[in-house]
Order: sequence, then structure tokens, then C-alpha cells
Amino acid sequence: MLETSADVVSVGAGLLAVGYVIYEIDRRQRKLHDIWDTLGAHDEERTEYLEGLVASGELVPYTGGALP
Amino acid sequence: MPTSNAQSESSRRPPRRQKTQADAPGVVAASPVPNGDATVADELPRFRIFIVDSGWNSAARQVLHDNFHLLRDLQRETPIYLLGRERSIDLLRRYPALVGKDPIIRVHSEVLRKHRPPGFHGFRLHLGLLKEHDHALSALQKFVRFIGVHRDSRDLEMDMRKKLRLEGLQGAFEIIAHGDAHGVSI
Repeated sequence: MLETSADVVSVGAGLLAVGYVIYEIDRRQRKLHDIWDTLGAHDEERTEYLEGLVASGELVPYTGGALP
Repeated sequence: MPTSNAQSESSRRPPRRQKTQADAPGVVAASPVPNGDATVADELPRFRIFIVDSGWNSAARQVLHDNFHLLRDLQRETPIYLLGRERSIDLLRRYPALVGKDPIIRVHSEVLRKHRPPGFHGFRLHLGLLKEHDHALSALQKFVRFIGVHRDSRDLEMDMRKKLRLEGLQGAFEIIAHGDAHGVSI
């Protein structure tokens, strides 16, 4: 039980620390997925757009030379 | 120009590769050497890399340009499609949520597992979100390593998810062990 103010402070600090770790892990996971991710349903339209450019011959593989 | 057969292929979405020997485990898809007799479907390799770069003056763009030829040499069997500035801007105007995330590198891959829906799958790297030169270079190296190591993977997306989970766990341990809360390692 919390009998002294020191106990209350200790438990509060512990809860804050745990909360911070959870928050930080979640933040890093989100950042990681912002940078890297698999192509999901939300990417389908973009995928089709790019594949359409290739299929139509508008986009061809890079074969050398200066970068655009 | 695509052949008439290829045009009929392109009318279906996404285009499917015909079964070839390259579908066998351990066999790497052939390089897409132009061949007047072959259809586009015959030439489709396992992976295709698309690079979207509208031209922001950023460390990530510098890293990509400085190392592009190495990337290409390491992925000779994979066609790389550079969208160029104008087409990249067109894409960003179409999908404004992507502004500031380019250079974007997308890998389109066919999934060989039967229970997955057919068509193109893959993953993408928003290199432009990495503001530090070293982080961008590290991410580019990890990208090249990942598709090199998983070239014969039957499900690239599943491998990527595993990798992300592993990186997430490592990040959690880093936070707990060192209190390092500022960087994202991958």
C-alpha cells in the first residue's frame, strides 16, 4: 500500500517510466513503418499507375547515362 | 514498343509473368535483355525497382545519386525504372501525401506462394524521410542487402514484415537498455 508520499512518488515515477517506454516503442515503430513498409492495399493505385507506365512503354528500364 | 501479345497482357491488371524456369527455387530470373521475339510477359523479372525523385535538395537524394551506379551494379538482373523529375512531380501531384518522402524506392515483386492473391506485391523505402546522410546511406545499403539476400524468397512481403518486427524489438531493447530514444536504427 502507498503509505508515504515517497511511495506515491516512486510509483508515479515508475508508471511514467513504463508509459514513456511504451510511447517511445510505438513512436519508433511508426517511424520505422513510415520509412519502410510493404505495399498494402493503400498502395495498389500507385502500383497500378507505375505498372501501367511500364506496360504502356512510357517507362523503360534505366540503361546507363546521366541520372535524370 | 510492346508486342500485340504484350498489349493484351497490359490490359489485365497487374500483368502476370508466365511460368518459366526462373520460378524454380534457386533459379534467378533472367535479365530483361531486349528481345524482339519475346513478349513483355516473358521478360518480366522477379523484381522491378522504381525510383521516384522529384529533386529535393536533400541528403537522401545526394546519397542516392552518389551510390546509384553501385546499386545498379549490385542489382544487374533487376530492371530499375527512374521516373525522372517531371514524372515524379506528376506522381506527387497525384498523391500529395508522398511529398517530402522522396526519393522513394519501390520494389514490385511477384508472390510465388499459392495462397496469396496473385499480382504484384513488394515493399517501399521512403528514403527522403531520413535527413541525415549516414542514416540514408545505411538505409540504402540495407535495401540492397535485403533484396539481394531475399532474391529467391517465395514471399518478399512476409520477409519484410519479419525484418520490421525484428527491428522493432531491437529498438525496444535499445530503449530499455540504453534509453536511446532519438534514432531509428533501420
